Amino acid sequence: MIVDRAGSPTDLLEVDDDADLIEVLASLGWGDGLPVVAPTPERVEAMLAGCSGHDPEEVVATLPPRFGQATRLAIAVNAVMAGCLPDHLPVLVSAVRALAHTDLNLRGVNATTHCVAPLLVVHGEVVRSAGYHGGLGAFGPGSRANATTGRALRLILLHVAGATPGDGDASTQGGPAKYGFCVAENLEASPWTGYAASVGVDAPSAVTIHCGEAPHNVHDMESSDPTGILDKVASAMATTAQNNACISQGEYLVALCPEHAATCADAGWSRGDVASYLFQRARLPVGELKQAFGHRAWAPWMQALQDGDAAPMTGHPDNIRIMVVGGAGRHSSVIPSWGMTRSVTIPIEP
Amino acid sequence: MQIHPPTGATSTPPASLAPTPAVLAGRRIGILDNRKPNAGLLLARLAERLAARTGAEVTLVQTKNAAIPCEDQVLGRLVEEVELVLTGTAD
Repeated sequence: MIVDRAGSPTDLLEVDDDADLIEVLASLGWGDGLPVVAPTPERVEAMLAGCSGHDPEEVVATLPPRFGQATRLAIAVNAVMAGCLPDHLPVLVSAVRALAHTDLNLRGVNATTHCVAPLLVVHGEVVRSAGYHGGLGAFGPGSRANATTGRALRLILLHVAGATPGDGDASTQGGPAKYGFCVAENLEASPWTGYAASVGVDAPSAVTIHCGEAPHNVHDMESSDPTGILDKVASAMATTAQNNACISQGEYLVALCPEHAATCADAGWSRGDVASYLFQRARLPVGELKQAFGHRAWAPWMQALQDGDAAPMTGHPDNIRIMVVGGAGRHSSVIPSWGMTRSVTIPIEP
Repeated sequence: MQIHPPTGATSTPPASLAPTPAVLAGRRIGILDNRKPNAGLLLARLAERLAARTGAEVTLVQTKNAAIPCEDQVLGRLVEEVELVLTGTAD
């Protein structure tokens, strides 16, 4: 059994070889309830080879609400527990760096009663080199890279950031995306430039963190033009049953499947055209929104609209983020953000 | 078997609480409402009771949004106007 509880990853714990590691961790308030790989010194050292040449003790980010220091060593320990490979470590280190960006508002994301979870999207060369999956079933099971990196990010939030349910995470119902939420952009099947480049990040590989709900499906097998597809996407966006409805800075991540994206691109629509159309079409009457929300964090120009006006679901077309995810078939998805958060895209750097 | 703890060390907290005054009578008290739907209701009632029971001068202040840190100008106003701040949240 445990003979000592240490806080720093450099202070090793002694555990019986035949102990049930899930139970040992749970007794210390650690783990996500699933089996873990024991983070032995040998495994952690092997994991750190993914960031060779970089100081394991360097603090990559300090994560609220616990204000835990996410060193590469601490990140590697959680990566081992989740089942990651060393090739996944630079992605995870970059994701942690993105989590700490001021725009993302991690303190609010972790502390809210909403079900929000950080979605990690992987872009560029690392998708192929480290085995990330953006094709058929990309949001689901089957990819070790997606599953373990997403899970490792959640373990870091639990252990380092202190986002434990009931303590550092007040989410009323929680959500399945809080176990692990990682996907790759399907750039090979995208008719447009890569998402990271579209937001000004010109790097071989990059990560995006978008803090939102679990994906909401949009099914369209019928439409041969963009408007039929995008009107359904707009319909999924235009509801009072989400935080963005009362927060004008709120973002939507619209993950178009390759076939829906191709229908848009074949008609000559750019990514910006798609966002502009959705901005125009995803609207609700101002009076309905005022009735639903006593307090609205709207931009001044939205506050000035009259009850009969149709208010956009977000304050600017740029808040509607478009990327291509998935494989064959005609299902896309909408991922509304938590609201008081901005997505962050940064290059992958170990 | 030896394992690494997964937690990471913690940084020094960015601030600490001031000592709590033993007596509220005659104090200037600030009530900080984070604008959660029922926070104003709860805190306004608290302010009324405090003023009635202690004779304290109570100032009610609202933040812009519960999801983001309190604005510097609101904190600055509290620093200038009150000696003690009570806050709470209520969905």
